[in-house]
Amino acid sequence: MTFFTTRRTVLSVAAAAALLSVTACGGNVGGGVADAADFPSGPVNITVGQAPGGSTDLIARAVGEGMSDNLGQPVTVVNQPGANGAVATKEVAGKAADGHELVLLNASLITITPLAVSENEAVTLDDLDVIKGLSQDDYVLVASAKSGFENLEDIQATGNLTYGTTGVGTGSQLAQAVLFAEAGIDGTAVPFDSGSPALTAVMGDQVQVATVQLGEAKPQIDAGSVTPIMTFSAERNEFLPDTPTATESGYDIPVSQYRALAAPKGLPEEVKTRLAESADAALATDAYQSFNQDNLLTPHEISGEEVTEEWNSLRDRYAELVEEHDISLTGN
Amino acid sequence: MEFLQPVLDGFGVVLEPTNLLYCLLGVTIGMLIGVLPGLGPAATIAILLPLTYGVEPVTAIIMLAGIFYGAQYGGTITSVLLRLPGEASAVVTVFDGYQLAKQGKAGTALGIAAIGSFVGGTVAIIGLTFLAPLVAGFALDFGPPEYAALALLGILLVATISNGPKVKALIAAAVGLLLATVGRDAFTGAERFTFGNLSLADGIDFVPVAMGLFGVGEILYNLEERHRAVKAPTTVKNVWPSRQDLKTSAPAIGRGSVLGFFLGILPGGGATIASLAGYAVEKKVAKDPSRFGKGAVEGVAGPETANNAAATSSFIPLLTLGIPANATMAIIFGALLIQGVTPGPELITAHPDLFWGVVNSRYIGNLLLLIMAIPLIGVFVRILRVRAAILAPITALITLLGAYTIRNSMFDVLLVVVFGAVGYLKKKIGFEPGPLVLAFVLGALLESSLRRSLLVLDGNLLGMMGRPISATLVILFVAVAVFPLIKSFLDRRTQHAVVDEALRSGPRPGAASGTPSDTHTKENA
Repeated sequence: MTFFTTRRTVLSVAAAAALLSVTACGGNVGGGVADAADFPSGPVNITVGQAPGGSTDLIARAVGEGMSDNLGQPVTVVNQPGANGAVATKEVAGKAADGHELVLLNASLITITPLAVSENEAVTLDDLDVIKGLSQDDYVLVASAKSGFENLEDIQATGNLTYGTTGVGTGSQLAQAVLFAEAGIDGTAVPFDSGSPALTAVMGDQVQVATVQLGEAKPQIDAGSVTPIMTFSAERNEFLPDTPTATESGYDIPVSQYRALAAPKGLPEEVKTRLAESADAALATDAYQSFNQDNLLTPHEISGEEVTEEWNSLRDRYAELVEEHDISLTGN
Repeated sequence: MEFLQPVLDGFGVVLEPTNLLYCLLGVTIGMLIGVLPGLGPAATIAILLPLTYGVEPVTAIIMLAGIFYGAQYGGTITSVLLRLPGEASAVVTVFDGYQLAKQGKAGTALGIAAIGSFVGGTVAIIGLTFLAPLVAGFALDFGPPEYAALALLGILLVATISNGPKVKALIAAAVGLLLATVGRDAFTGAERFTFGNLSLADGIDFVPVAMGLFGVGEILYNLEERHRAVKAPTTVKNVWPSRQDLKTSAPAIGRGSVLGFFLGILPGGGATIASLAGYAVEKKVAKDPSRFGKGAVEGVAGPETANNAAATSSFIPLLTLGIPANATMAIIFGALLIQGVTPGPELITAHPDLFWGVVNSRYIGNLLLLIMAIPLIGVFVRILRVRAAILAPITALITLLGAYTIRNSMFDVLLVVVFGAVGYLKKKIGFEPGPLVLAFVLGALLESSLRRSLLVLDGNLLGMMGRPISATLVILFVAVAVFPLIKSFLDRRTQHAVVDEALRSGPRPGAASGTPSDTHTKENA
């Protein structure tokens, strides 16, 4: 009897483990050589280069949900964090271009990260077919309550500024470095691991200002524990209508986190059309639209070609800005 | 006592049958995934999120929170039985927990851990209810210099708590610090020891290191042992801690609760340092510190209580400031967005039922875990009776699966194998994995907060002394570092005096009379 109990225990542990691992990798059995006509012939994977639970991951899950209904096949999200998403992007770029393997891209990986890492780690859109642009997540410059800063002039008036960034090679770093260079503010950048610790540091006045994504900062702005100074979007953010943009203050630094859905290069035209169609259907659902609203994401639903054009020109623009102001994102 | 009303209402919410059921479901799922080292609660919650769309927000969050602390207890089970610490805060539990299991006292270890967790959680909830507004600012006062000082103190504790020779512990800790530097430099983007491999750009994950060094290393070592000598299968003596065990653990549980409560308030690293400090304190106050590492019950009770109390008090920054203390909390409260509730500093006033429902569900969840633990411990400890020929491959399988699930990467599986081989060799030459793993965890915290401090303090490290908390921590660090030196110096002086005395009074053949005795002592010394 004892023996059986033992065995059952072990078996159930092993079974649970097996079950969970299947859930975790999302039954990655799709693929195969697909005829464009009968796409999708199996489940579709969306690989995310960030950990589960972050905003990129949540966007992938929200889009995947709607696409799955439209395609009539399961759409699973696979998380493969590493090097800001470079690992996942390079992995997917090397897979078969049959439409069953997709990746959710962060624009900063393409437009800003190459300014901070070595050439062989830089990721470009050359190996990818972009299917659809999704949304933009705006950056907002916030100041600690204790600093008393209300606007950019206050910051200009201060002598010794320390500012928090969400890491090297991020939009947060680039936007602030360029803004402070143009506004003649002398400051020291302090990189944090992500938005949340950077925001916490501002709340505790460990650094006087920081730039983080709006979704993170909004509850603290509403509670009055940090003061919004400006956003870096082209137009005023609908969720923060009283805060000026950098552009209207005379600093043309458009930096937002854009996200898009992409596939390996060489997708058959019909498959691409079908995927774009299902993405459009997903974006049109009420569930997805209220998801955007809840997460303070501004829809930026442009075609794949427009995404490629926009991101490539942003990349060039950022490279120029960095050169013009002699800024180094690597601190050297 | 008006402010207690929402707290009591929160209990009412948790005790609704549906919520109790979801709480039970959550802790059970949590316990199962806790057994699988890689798939952490954060990932599980993200995957199970859609399941919660159809239910009330409170119910959903109660289940998700249940997964969170169920996983912690599941991690304790594998730490004790299989030497697999799934989280950094469970590493020190392995030291004595696994030894107890080897002596047939796995039930004692698991029982004490369950009781300690329950008490620690309870104390922290009481503290949270009454002290939260008072201690909240503490989390914000902790800037880079404070974290740097805390990490420094933590690394010093690593050397103190190791049970083998000090020099070996220091060498292992140094290797751990070195491993922590692998990956893309967070301040310059430069690659360090990655050999052009993108999989190493984010550094090495905790799980492959701990699983390899502890788990796989131990399996390999045991296989060799078994070849040499036929060892009787481990007998499982008692399933529940004895009265004596409880008596020995009671003070440790008390100290662990307080320690865990305060360190848990710090977002990032609080629980790990709490468990480490819990162990260090127990070893320090013990009458016979040599028992530690060989199966001391307090060595399980202290850290397990501390890390649970810390997990509970980590709600404080969220409650008062709207800062999630860890990734799991961030996801749980991100899940609220889907339910139309905005997490943040206003949460407590806008949705008191929700907030206190979650906090109190933690309490009920701990109680459920304790109730479940009583019959289950009997089942779990039988795992140890399984022959090594069967248990070892299954353990190895769980380990490798777990490593794969962290980021769906075969590279991490490979890392487990590599660290397994290293762990085996280290054990052969008498190195314990504990100091390496703990220094590895704290090394990342130390490096980033030290460099951040330099930026914040304008390159002047003396600025640390100008801030009350970091100054206190630095002074504490110096005291802990210097005190043993002074003590051994004084001891030696006393010994010298004794030797002096002996030399002076004893017969010294060949010694010229009239020669001052201290010359001899010097020569002899």
